[in-house]
Amino acid sequence: MLKIIIPTIMLMPLTWLSKKNMIWINTTTYSLLISLISLSLLNQPSNNSLNFSLMFFSDPLSAPLLVLTTWLLPLMLMASQHHLSKEPLTRKKLYITMLTMLQTFLIMTFTATELISFYILFEATLVPTLIIITRWGNQTERLNAGLYFLFYTLMGSLPLLVALISIQNLTGSLNFLLIQYWNQALPDSWSNIFLWLACMMAFMVKMPLYGLHLWLPKAHVEAPIAGSMVLAAILLKLGGYGMLRITTMLNPQTSFMAYPFLMLSLWGMIMTSSICLRQTDLKSLIAYSSVSHMALVIVAVLIQTPWSYMGATALMIAHGLTSSMLFCLANSNYERTHSRTMILARGLQTLLPLMAAWWLLASLTNLALPPSINLIGELFVVMSSFSWSNITIILMGANITITALYSLYMLITTQRGKYTHHINSIKPSFTRENALMALHMTPLLLLSLNPKIILGFTY
Amino acid sequence: MNPLIFTTILMTVLLGTMIVMMSSHWLMIWIGFEMNLLAIIPILMKKYNPRTMEASTKYFLTQATASMLLMMAIIINLMHSGQWTITKVFNPTASIIMTSALAMKLGLTPFHFWVPEVTQGISLTSGLILLTWQKLAPMSILYQISPSINLNILLTMAVLSILVGGWGGLNQTQLRKIMAYSSIAHMGWMTAVLVYSPTLTMLNMLIYIMMTLTMFMLFIHSSSTTTLSLSHTWNKTPLTTTLILITLLSMGGLPPLSGFMPKWMIIQELTKNSSIILPTLMAIMALLNLYFYMRLTYSTSLTMFPSTNNMKMKWQFETKRITLLPPLIVMSSLLLPLTPMLSILD
Repeated sequence: MLKIIIPTIMLMPLTWLSKKNMIWINTTTYSLLISLISLSLLNQPSNNSLNFSLMFFSDPLSAPLLVLTTWLLPLMLMASQHHLSKEPLTRKKLYITMLTMLQTFLIMTFTATELISFYILFEATLVPTLIIITRWGNQTERLNAGLYFLFYTLMGSLPLLVALISIQNLTGSLNFLLIQYWNQALPDSWSNIFLWLACMMAFMVKMPLYGLHLWLPKAHVEAPIAGSMVLAAILLKLGGYGMLRITTMLNPQTSFMAYPFLMLSLWGMIMTSSICLRQTDLKSLIAYSSVSHMALVIVAVLIQTPWSYMGATALMIAHGLTSSMLFCLANSNYERTHSRTMILARGLQTLLPLMAAWWLLASLTNLALPPSINLIGELFVVMSSFSWSNITIILMGANITITALYSLYMLITTQRGKYTHHINSIKPSFTRENALMALHMTPLLLLSLNPKIILGFTY
Repeated sequence: MNPLIFTTILMTVLLGTMIVMMSSHWLMIWIGFEMNLLAIIPILMKKYNPRTMEASTKYFLTQATASMLLMMAIIINLMHSGQWTITKVFNPTASIIMTSALAMKLGLTPFHFWVPEVTQGISLTSGLILLTWQKLAPMSILYQISPSINLNILLTMAVLSILVGGWGGLNQTQLRKIMAYSSIAHMGWMTAVLVYSPTLTMLNMLIYIMMTLTMFMLFIHSSSTTTLSLSHTWNKTPLTTTLILITLLSMGGLPPLSGFMPKWMIIQELTKNSSIILPTLMAIMALLNLYFYMRLTYSTSLTMFPSTNNMKMKWQFETKRITLLPPLIVMSSLLLPLTPMLSILD
């Protein structure tokens, strides 16, 4: 694993020592090379995990997430070039350093074996993200957004620290490799109910669960593009990944403790999808759609069947790529009109037809069109929740319909119709932007040819 | 002040603390405390104005009361054990009185009221000595009597201190008061784990002193005593803003900085001793502290605080030389990976 971590850390000296006209080229190239190295992890020969050392391992769940993380860094760097072009050199280098630091922590989080190490790195990802949102965001609301983001996550995760330490006290070790073999049922008691709550709330806030999702629209909207991309694509998946890892230790309380959260998620996905229909702010719409998709992942993780785990993993990867692509598209609008209001930049198909093609593809994957991996994820989740309880099909069906409705609403408002008179002098799409969209879309399309690598460890 | 006299007085402060830490006779310990108190009054009053007089008077009164209570506890201990050696306290009453006396010296709730007012009234350097060096002596006595301290009283004082330290600092803009409330909260953390593992108290004290030293050095460097003046550092030395950000986040206890290490170890020790609600509450209340540190970072490093135009063209005076700042910064932010080395402290 050091073959990925050390090059990522070394991206920081690379940034600081590069010449002025080479920083973007150097960092993007080398981070693309690093993502190639991480692709080798997708080859998981044994049924168990690939153990690199006592501290790092990768298994069929964390390998796709790791590849997604390393794939996203060059994309984030490409997306940030425009809005940082006017800043002084030191600030550009600081921004890239923050992104690289975040990347290092994320890689180490996804491959950590020891759960407390996972916790420390999970918390450590908060600091660079906070700095990116608060220092480089564009509106005054970013201060509040940073505070909400930091404090919601910390309030949820401090009980997790206490819970992890008490589990370590009980079992002697928190090394994930050992816990797989130790697994015993938790005895039934009040304190174990609180233990379940303490373990899960951190990830519920991160996902986010419907009642605790207030930080997400703020943070996504106020963050600069790279911040939005990494938040939507990876940081939400940290919550999903953590839940998938920790539910193995929390039986049998999950069978009854999961009900409130299942109810909240099932209702929440409908609510947040419906809110998307009434949004005027483009980034806010994409943010709420993230909440809705993640609610599906929460439902899948809490049901705990093999198919639902497959659906959750596939949906996480698919949503990561789709949501990041949607944010890039929204950012390309924002850079031209400096406004996130949807109706101010409509009829773009006439002006930027290639970008309209990317908008179409992104919207189609967002509404889970076959045969994309979004569909595979959603379908598996719908099927497993139907087998858990027949009535959920009504809610799931309604959600799929409303998702289609708002995706089409977003597409039609921004792309179709007559263009407004004040945007017919916008710059045409840069090659960089088209490359960015292609790099998002190509993994999505290719994965629909062979989805078994993203189906996780229950395949 | 005449440098020779200043040196003598400073040495007396050091000597007083040393006597407290190294004596085994209760009377010598009391003498050490008094020596420390008497010698630090001139240091607190380096600038002679009514505000420092008020601060020094308040400090003197509280610390003298605490010393007298300590003396009473020593005498009761003498009556019940017949000897002056500091081993453990032989009488529960004496133990309670001694704990209260030492809490008064440290600034634990409910004896915390003097800390913000005294810290605010004195200069930054004197505040530094007050909040770091002066905590060493009472903490060393608490360390030595830790087996015989009444757990209920100590834990109540600790939890209340964390609460007061968090809530009290929320409404402050003066940097010295913010550091005072931060000191109250950190003292709460330190005393909470005292009965379970005094080693962790010492670890927390060490890291707290490093972080507070760093913060005060950075404040002295930019000669800023209010949030507003701190927000002008981007103009003078932009690098300092980053250092302030890192140190403040470390004080707030955010991983992966070293300020997380004492909190983590304390939570671990408390949880291993089957008290689970207490560390959860303490950890959540530490978030209050984090809130006003974040507010400071917002005005200093993460935004360009609104300022008038002539603020942007300040005279650049000769930079003050800050002792040992780079090692302090490194130690107050990057020590977390060295946590496994804590086994040497046992």
